[in-house]
Amino acid sequence: MKKIYYFSITFLLLIISCKKENLPIDEYELSIPKGFPKPTIPDNNKPSADRIELGRRLFFDPILSRDSSISCASCHHIDKKFTDGLPISRGIENRLGIRNAPSLLNVAYQPSMFWDGGVPNLEQQILAPIESHFEMDFNLPDVVTRLNNIEEYKTLSQKAYNQLPSIFSVTRAIACFERTLFSGTSKYDDYIYNNNKSALTASEINGMNIFLGEDGECFHCHGTYLFTDNSFKNNGIYLNYNDSGRARITQLTSDVGKFKVPSLRNVAMTAPYMHDGSFATLEEVVEHYNSGGKAHPNKSGLLLPLNLTTQEKTDLVNFLKALTDEK
Amino acid sequence: MKKLSSILILAIIFLATSCKKDEAAPKNTKQVLDFHWHSMVGSAEAALATTYTSNGVKFNLSSWRYYVSNFILIKADGSELKIADKVFLINMLEHDYSLDSVPVGNYKGFKFTLGLDSITNHKDPTLYSSENPLAIQTPGIHWSWNSGYIFFMAEGQYDSTATTLSPNKEFFFHVGTDELKRTIDFSNSPFSVVSGADKTIGIEMDFLKAIENLDLETENATHSFGALKPTAVKIANNWQAAFSLE
Repeated sequence: MKKIYYFSITFLLLIISCKKENLPIDEYELSIPKGFPKPTIPDNNKPSADRIELGRRLFFDPILSRDSSISCASCHHIDKKFTDGLPISRGIENRLGIRNAPSLLNVAYQPSMFWDGGVPNLEQQILAPIESHFEMDFNLPDVVTRLNNIEEYKTLSQKAYNQLPSIFSVTRAIACFERTLFSGTSKYDDYIYNNNKSALTASEINGMNIFLGEDGECFHCHGTYLFTDNSFKNNGIYLNYNDSGRARITQLTSDVGKFKVPSLRNVAMTAPYMHDGSFATLEEVVEHYNSGGKAHPNKSGLLLPLNLTTQEKTDLVNFLKALTDEK
Repeated sequence: MKKLSSILILAIIFLATSCKKDEAAPKNTKQVLDFHWHSMVGSAEAALATTYTSNGVKFNLSSWRYYVSNFILIKADGSELKIADKVFLINMLEHDYSLDSVPVGNYKGFKFTLGLDSITNHKDPTLYSSENPLAIQTPGIHWSWNSGYIFFMAEGQYDSTATTLSPNKEFFFHVGTDELKRTIDFSNSPFSVVSGADKTIGIEMDFLKAIENLDLETENATHSFGALKPTAVKIANNWQAAFSLE
């Protein structure tokens, strides 16, 4: 009897999944976390099962790099919440990049890409790691040539975008896949969105109050369901920045040392921290903010010495750890 | 009433057809305007594997490409005829570029932009079909990390010792950003487009003039940003003087 039960469940699941495959493009439903709004998605790249599948395959395929040695997933590991655990990412031939790999979770909500916001959307972002000499050191036209020699990619691209593999279909598909990467199942979410008051410990709740209150002031930049306002801030980690950050794009001295405020979701699993991975632990990060940071002329006015007690710092770190996804 | 309208219609049809009949052989009101585009190094066409000299420093070119766009023809009455959406990616090894059809007539001259207007410059390059000069090229001529095109891209080697017989060290000039586009003005260079014959304008850009005030020993790399920006500004400011008509 039990066997039949499991069989029916499997059968039902199959029917459901089949249905999803056949849904017209504008009806495909992303699995958006509870309490999150619908992300804005470009009209020419609405999600479909085929598009996401093509993007998923490309994301994990080292065919995108010149010597076929690294894929997107090499710097955006699933088991490290789509980061790589390194201070600065490594490209082909172990070449040293320039910055720390950011997580891709909730990337659908980001209004600009990279630590300096140099590119406006995911579709165009994909060009950069492929072309960078420090990363994949390759180019899109040659990627497309390679893909057109593989029957599976030809079929999938036709199904997904009604064309053979092209710069358009490759960049769109990877973006489409990346927009399915959500994060919103932490203990904090259970506490807030499911109203489960026992989800957080007393220490975590105390940490949350420091985070969201005037004792920590963290929420000004790391607010909302995303734990970032996606602005560019100088957080005073240096007096002299080797990497000019946002100024690399805007050419403004007033933007020197400003970097995009990162989300803090899963932050306990995405060490090391900052644009250059210069802080190894959350304790070091909290200590930095407690100190108020170095007196760079562009340093955000929100950074002031906090004078937190040892217990308060521990509580704050415990709260940050409660932002890790449970699923 | 019915009769009257029928007569009127018939008359109109008759007039229309007879008018056509009376006309002589049709004259073209438009003709193709082509450019014969020469990328020069001094008095010679730019070529690969050739050693040149700038301010006493030997160099060669492995590639030299540049975007020109926003062509404007200045009509005899001074009004401007904008040629929309026409962008050329000039390659030093290629000479023929066509503006397509333009109205027959006398023109006072023309002008164009070396580079791209800011809207085109920041459009998504992945949306163009592969024949479009604005599509992603191999090798690339678009900055993927800040989303803008390289307007003028020249690469090769220079002699870093001033003693070797041949160039031995890489140089690269990647000039771009909205700020560094330049208008190239030939508004006082009259030409005529006559019916029945396509028009070709011969134009030259001299690389030596584009890098005239650069010392290749010290100014041999720029990507138009930060500390390397001044070299790019110097090059962009030389562009007008580097052009001439044949």
